[in-house]
Formats: sequence, C-alpha cells, structure tokens
Amino acid sequence: MTVINAEGLKGTEEVGRRIAGALEGTEVIAFFGGLGMGKTTLTRSIAEALGCEDDVSSPTFAIVNEYKARFNIYHFDMYRITSWDDLYSTGFFDYLDTGVLIIEWSENIENALPDSAVRITIKPGKTEDDRIFEIEGLDI
Amino acid sequence: MRIFAVDTSAKSASAAVTENGEIKGEFFINTMLTHSETLMPMTDALLKSTRLSLSDIDCLAVNTGPGSFTGLRIGIAAIKGMAFAVKKPCIAVSTLESMAYNLSEPDTVLCAVMDARCNQVYNALFDVSSDIPQRLCDDRALTIDELSKELEALGKKVVLVGDGAKLCFSRMSGIECDLHIAAENVRYQRASSTALAAERLFEEVKTVGADTLMPQYLRLPQAQRELMAKQKLSNK
Repeated sequence: MTVINAEGLKGTEEVGRRIAGALEGTEVIAFFGGLGMGKTTLTRSIAEALGCEDDVSSPTFAIVNEYKARFNIYHFDMYRITSWDDLYSTGFFDYLDTGVLIIEWSENIENALPDSAVRITIKPGKTEDDRIFEIEGLDI
Repeated sequence: MRIFAVDTSAKSASAAVTENGEIKGEFFINTMLTHSETLMPMTDALLKSTRLSLSDIDCLAVNTGPGSFTGLRIGIAAIKGMAFAVKKPCIAVSTLESMAYNLSEPDTVLCAVMDARCNQVYNALFDVSSDIPQRLCDDRALTIDELSKELEALGKKVVLVGDGAKLCFSRMSGIECDLHIAAENVRYQRASSTALAAERLFEEVKTVGADTLMPQYLRLPQAQRELMAKQKLSNK
C-alpha cells in the first residue's frame, strides 16, 4: 500500500497525475471516503492527465459519465445503488475491461468489485485542504 | 422459410440469414467496439451481399437473454424496429439454447456458459448427440464451483461453448470430468445458431409480435448476498 500526504488542492492534483501515469487502460479504481473528500477533484485530475477535454463532474444523477481521453473513462457514482439489480442495470458489468472505471461511493458495491480493483481511501489531512491517500493495487 | 437473426448478448456481435436450415450469410465481429456502432452496418452489409431486403424475410429472431444488460437491449431494440417496419413476426431465442446449435457430437453434453462476473456464469446443458439438441436443464445463473460439481456428477464428455467457455475451462482444470472446450470457430454465440434455433421454434409456432419481445435477464444468485461489504459509512 502506498500512503501519500497531499498538501492542498495542488497536492491532490499531483496524486491524480501520478495515478494516471500508472494506468494501462482497463483498471477499476474504487474510491472510499466520505463527502467532500475530493473524489471528483481526484477524478478530474486523472482524466485531465489522460488528455481528457470533457467537463468532469460528479455523476450523481446520471450514475455514470463517459469521458473520451487516451483511454475511455467511465466515472460512476454509486451513492444511489443499493441492490445487485440496480448495479446490473447501470451497465457496470458491461463497462468492465472496456476502459478505466473510476468509482465514487465504492462502499455501496464493495462485494461486486473485481479482485484486481485499485482501492483508494481518502482521509482528512492536517489542514482543511490536506488529504491522506491510501492506494492499494497500483504502483505509483 | 427465411430467417434473419442477430446476437448481441456479450462481447461478440453477429447477424445471419438462414433458409430452410442452410446458412445463407453471416457477419460476425468480436472486437471491443460497441454493438450500437456495429450492428446496423453489419445488417446492412449482410442484406446487400445476400441481395435480400427485410421484406424477403419470413421471421426475425434475436437472442433475448441471458446476457449483458446493454447488449441484449441493443439487439432486441434493433429487431423490434425492423420487425415493426416490415410487419413480420419475431422469435425470442434463449442465448444459451442458441449455442446448442453450434455443434453436434456423439455422446456429448454441451455446456453453454456465459460470464456473469463475480465468479458466476449463466448456464444450460444440452445433449447434442443428435442433430436436434435436447435441453437437460433450464437456463440458470450459478457459481463456477457449483457448475463444476454438477459436471463431475454427470460422468459424460462435456464441451464448453460460449463467451464464458475459456474462463470455465481454465478454472475447471482440476475437476474429474472429460472436459473439452469448443474450437474458436464454434465457441461463441452466433446469429446463425440463433436462426437455426428459431427455425425449430417457428415450427412450434412460437412467434411473437415485435411489441412483446423483451430481454430475459436471469437473476444472479449473488443477489441474495449483500452488495455492501459493511454498513454505509456516512450520510451524503
């Protein structure tokens, strides 16, 4: 497990760039961490580092946003997913292996994550803008 | 008796035309491209190459499930649209049953398997000793371990077909069963097999209108299990 203490917004963005640099194109990246932890900010940094020019925003209502970049990026918000039928009908299983899946609120679908999933836990840091990233399953 | 059939139930996609048990044309593609991008160009190319139009077709068939959520909907929506436009009947074929028409071999049980993720498969078993496959169980979803135990108990030669064949063959390497995997050219879901299965169903008068064609999803056994590993951590 890699632990990174990120200072401020710039620190989080740097973590995003490092994650992006280590990706091969079919990873499942599962975020754990509550509201306001910067999951969408981290997703935006990863997407930008992969050459994405689309707007990256939390897919709270759409459940999944698709972005074009060096790889296809599928950005999920699982907050409202509470059953296997819900999950199946998002097309989650159809997206696997066709691009990079970035998943917010992975807590809700933890038992459906592939064994190979990259798990990123985000915790508060020393100041309001600092974050601690615990990254499992990816060498960055 | 001319049938036009499509399959978009998993990664591969195909379209085919059969006439009285003969394959007149087939287009098969197995790339990472989305079915919504490939299905209509394939259909168009196939009909042009066979010098047919949809009005020359007696019946339209489609694999309605089990299969991928998005994939099934693409194939079914396409067939619905075409059948509605030319006012022709449709036939819904079980994806697993269609694969029983991929091959026939003496004293062989065909095990159709589709990857349902999370170590589960969609499966049905067929006796393919004669030209007409005999179904041995209903379509179901089960874990690879459960299926392994069943195959061991069968005590027969088993051939794996379907998009989950490779997965099962490698995961079942140690089991006590005369287990084989179908050759690449007959391994996957094929629209030609869907059409051949549909011919049988047509004889049994199992046609439906375009409006009643629906995806047949199989509920995963894991639906019984918790999706969340633990209680939700916090409120949004």
